Amino acid sequence: MVKGPYIGYILGDLNYRREPGMSEAVDLATVEIELKLDWMNRQGEWQTHAKPGKSGLTLADIQIGSYGETPEISDNMTGRPRGAQARPGSFRIGNYSVRTKNEIWLENASFLYEEALQRQWSSATDVPWHTIEPLPDDIEEAQCELATFLTEVEFVAGDVPARWISETTPDYFEPRNVLLAQVMDEARHMDVFRKRALANGGGLMQATGGTAGVVGSIDLARDFTEMSSRLHISGEGAVLTIFRMGELMAYNDAEKAIYRLCAQDEARHVAFGVMHMRYMSEEAPDRHEEIECYLDEAERQILAGSQNPAGNQTASSEALAILLGGGVAHYDEGFRKLMAIRRRQLVEYMKRVKSAGFGKRFENGRSQVKEMMAVSAA
Amino acid sequence: MASVFPSEDWFNEVRSVFNSDDSYRGAGGGSCECRSAMKIGRRVFLLNFEGIECAPVVEADKGALADVDFYLDMPLADWQAMVKDIAANGGASLHYTLNTLDLDRAEGLSHSVHEDQFREDLFFRYNQTFQFFFDASARIKTSFG
Ligand SMILES: [Fe+2]
Ligand SMILES: [Fe+2]
Repeated sequence: MVKGPYIGYILGDLNYRREPGMSEAVDLATVEIELKLDWMNRQGEWQTHAKPGKSGLTLADIQIGSYGETPEISDNMTGRPRGAQARPGSFRIGNYSVRTKNEIWLENASFLYEEALQRQWSSATDVPWHTIEPLPDDIEEAQCELATFLTEVEFVAGDVPARWISETTPDYFEPRNVLLAQVMDEARHMDVFRKRALANGGGLMQATGGTAGVVGSIDLARDFTEMSSRLHISGEGAVLTIFRMGELMAYNDAEKAIYRLCAQDEARHVAFGVMHMRYMSEEAPDRHEEIECYLDEAERQILAGSQNPAGNQTASSEALAILLGGGVAHYDEGFRKLMAIRRRQLVEYMKRVKSAGFGKRFENGRSQVKEMMAVSAA
Repeated sequence: MASVFPSEDWFNEVRSVFNSDDSYRGAGGGSCECRSAMKIGRRVFLLNFEGIECAPVVEADKGALADVDFYLDMPLADWQAMVKDIAANGGASLHYTLNTLDLDRAEGLSHSVHEDQFREDLFFRYNQTFQFFFDASARIKTSFG
């Protein structure tokens, strides 16, 4: 047992001698305490020597020994960091509902998390705001309409993954961390579109209701995979296309930067969904039919155009066509461009679902997306 | 002395500018793991990013396109127009950014042999890095042969 002078004191561990004439106040300089140090014997796996790679010391670099082992089912209800020794007396601080690995897992979560951290940007200083100049009224109004719509959408995009973070056991911290980073991204998206609306003589328009109905219903998912298929694959796949269109139809370098940088973040969120679904495809055959049903539902919404702001007959799709055409007078031309890009969006959607391991639905007649594309092209 | 576009020398000179300027690691740039190719007319140049750096660029034959995550394909004249626009403006102007070229051209810009959208999506996920790379060409002298 080590003994020694100690600055500060631990209740119960004080064992000091009071000299004659000494005041009752504890003279910390002369306190002798017995250090317990028994915590030193309660180690997780030791002798780890993580080494940085080309991208620095990443989460992938510390998947060493037992620290890299993720249980198929987690019984961790106490917030214990994966690989740390359990503390028998600890309280149940998390009533985690996501404790089965395949419910949330994906192979490249730690990679996506590092990518999110390393590719952050600031809506305050990385957007060349000084390049925004007065625009014709119809163009400014269309930009503000889109900015209003996207501000609403980004609230949902942040709120929904956020709910699942505290539901997930710390044993699966990699996907959890990706979701935490996504929430940061969505906060930035929300703020950058609000900034755009207020930056050029316009303002916010009437709330579009873009988060009611189908988009809002993403939040009703009771299962993580159901949520992810709605949010990451179909919802954010559509938003990625809007951001890419936004970059195309930008009227200044500031808008170019806003949409390009948002599209990068969005593609990362979509990648999470594709990789999670691929993991389910490979590891959870018993859930394939259920996932096909999520995709059925998502495709019904995509084809109805109601979930898809790049669809038709919504305020935001009118705004997109006006921006693409170059003004109200060129709406028809803009609408043609919009429909061409929407077809590409559907092709990309199908290829993503195929990449995720559920491509048979486009060959066996289950999905109507191909037929819909053929009709719209005719 | 000016480097001829397109050539290994041209790409590697741009690469030196890109790799030596820390400003390209922030502002939405940064770590990038991606194998891509630039198909310029009939010629193919492999552009690989590893971590925060671009690897040495080499010319390859068309068969190499099968191995990359995506490749950007335009006729020589269209590539030259893009490079000239970047040189004239210090960076791509509104009509010459990579994403705009991809959406504005009927045949698109970004393609793949494998058609795996997860890999094709890397063009969107790392778009700012690729834009930074080509924008860096404004800082070298280019000739067009
Ligand atoms: Fe977003
Ligand atoms: Fe997102």
